[in-house]
Amino acid sequence: MGSVYSKIDGKSREFYILLILFSIFTLIGFICFMVSYISGHHVLGSSNIIPWGMPIIITIYLIGLSAGSLILSALTYVFGKEEYRPIARLAVFLAIILIFGAMIGIALDLGRPEKSWRLFMFFVLNNMRSMFALNGILYGGYFLIGMIYLGAIFADKYKFIKTMGKIAIFWAALVHMGTGAIFGFIATRPIFFSPIKPFEFLSAAMVSGLALLIIVVVAIFKFTKRNLNKDIIFSLSRLLRILIIVLAVMVLVDKLTHLYSPHREPTLWLFTGPYSWIFWLLQVGFAYIFPLLILFHPRYGKTLKGVMVAAFLVVIGIFGERFSLVIPGTAYPLPFYPGKIEGIWGMAGSFPITPVESFMSLGIFTLMGLLFLVGLKNLELLPVDEIGEQTSEIAKKI
Amino acid sequence: MPRWGMVIDLDKCVGCQACSTACKAENNVPHGSPDDQRLRRDIYWNKVIAVTNGKYPRVNTELIPMPCMHCDHAPCVTVCPAKATYRREDGIIVQDFRRCIGCKYCIVACPYGARSFNSKEQEEKEYHRPDLPPDRNVWGQWPFPTRTHGVVEKCTFCFHRIDQGIKEGKKIGTEVVPACVEDCPAEARKFGDLDDTHSEVSRLLSSRGWIRLREELDTKCKVYYLPR
Repeated sequence: MGSVYSKIDGKSREFYILLILFSIFTLIGFICFMVSYISGHHVLGSSNIIPWGMPIIITIYLIGLSAGSLILSALTYVFGKEEYRPIARLAVFLAIILIFGAMIGIALDLGRPEKSWRLFMFFVLNNMRSMFALNGILYGGYFLIGMIYLGAIFADKYKFIKTMGKIAIFWAALVHMGTGAIFGFIATRPIFFSPIKPFEFLSAAMVSGLALLIIVVVAIFKFTKRNLNKDIIFSLSRLLRILIIVLAVMVLVDKLTHLYSPHREPTLWLFTGPYSWIFWLLQVGFAYIFPLLILFHPRYGKTLKGVMVAAFLVVIGIFGERFSLVIPGTAYPLPFYPGKIEGIWGMAGSFPITPVESFMSLGIFTLMGLLFLVGLKNLELLPVDEIGEQTSEIAKKI
Repeated sequence: MPRWGMVIDLDKCVGCQACSTACKAENNVPHGSPDDQRLRRDIYWNKVIAVTNGKYPRVNTELIPMPCMHCDHAPCVTVCPAKATYRREDGIIVQDFRRCIGCKYCIVACPYGARSFNSKEQEEKEYHRPDLPPDRNVWGQWPFPTRTHGVVEKCTFCFHRIDQGIKEGKKIGTEVVPACVEDCPAEARKFGDLDDTHSEVSRLLSSRGWIRLREELDTKCKVYYLPR
């Protein structure tokens, strides 16, 4: 329990440059959102055939990162793994910021974001049979639980932390399985429809959350010139290996099942159609094969650089996994009637990347970056290095 | 309480798209530009699809007019988080623009592609056209008069006509029918009460074999097709 945490001083030039850059891009993102809100969603890439675009992809991606990050923080606070304690606070804080970004993402995707309060009128104005409404409870509760959890950690109430940690991991798992259920319960869309989807989402969350945590931890420790205990990273990377294998098996089972009728045609289209490169290169390559090759490599798997590259690939790859679920999942034309449907009703949809949508999406990320920087400056999230030369006084000056 | 349904005789349908046009005129659905059509952003409450089977010279094209199927087990009603789309007691699935938050979950869940997202502010004149049906004043206000972008739209079985007709004591299915039924030159569409054994639709369904689209999803839809 002896770890001491500190803030960063936040007076260096790099800090301010980052702060200003993030602010500018957040502002641009907000302007793009206003454009899409005032003139309508025709400035975005989504259409009637692909109703969900980049904001939804980013949302489920961020929820994944968040849930994974929170579950990992529980390694310390619930399961008592002391070696992860230095990064546990950061993990909780990151989880809260990421779920906030995810909720922003949902709001950006709504056609009428000013009515988003309707999502939280549980049992009154909501149809509680809808997975979306149920997920409203899950996301809102998750945000609250995360805040209380972080508050308890800052207040050093050990017993309370442990209880909250248990609730938090349970809830985080629920949040991500609920998100998977949004997709998995839709019988109309063959690529979505699968009972394994909630579990696939959960393992994807763990994988991407862990990979992001590795990146953030290494980057921040480098940036603030703290000494990093490399054993933490390597034990995390061993965990990452196992989780990637679990995820890959889930996806394999899911896709194999879908190769049977009646889901065969859309799945084959996913494998060979215009979006196949996202599936094969980003999802299968970046998220599973390349990281596993690196992490199992006898030499590269044992270096910090190797682990970092693998984590980067995973974070990009899981984004590809989300993309190759949401976009091709709806793009394949619905089989209204047996036979070949002529004209536009039988054509697969395409998803143009538009500038407004891209900057809006970038804005979500920079907003989170901004909050993260502000948090680092004002909250005691980073451990003071006790093994290295740093004392807590020196650490505070950086 | 009646259960409104539609029967479409595929033997009579010639694919003239009069139903699509009538629907656009009646419900003031935006036309959509060629760009909108290319990007699949135009709004259709009623569409006619052509389905081919076989190869030349032995080829067969079926024309399937597709309004909203008004399923009894509607997937869109199940998934809507805001109760914006709901089943009325007479079986019509309606979309309340005032409640709709525009999450588009219903578009994802609909097996018939019956739903469209209104993705842009339409020209003002498109909504206040002088060529609207003159007896609109007689029918009164359309229930959701302000159309706005950012919500999902769909066919309503012209429930404003039905409600008005019931108020005036007219016979629904013969005197008062949805616009697409009224305008079909081939009289391929029939509208009426599926629970009423004396209605025209019940007579047709008992006299001929019928199909419904995508039965495998168990949507129990109320638009029946009489195959050729």
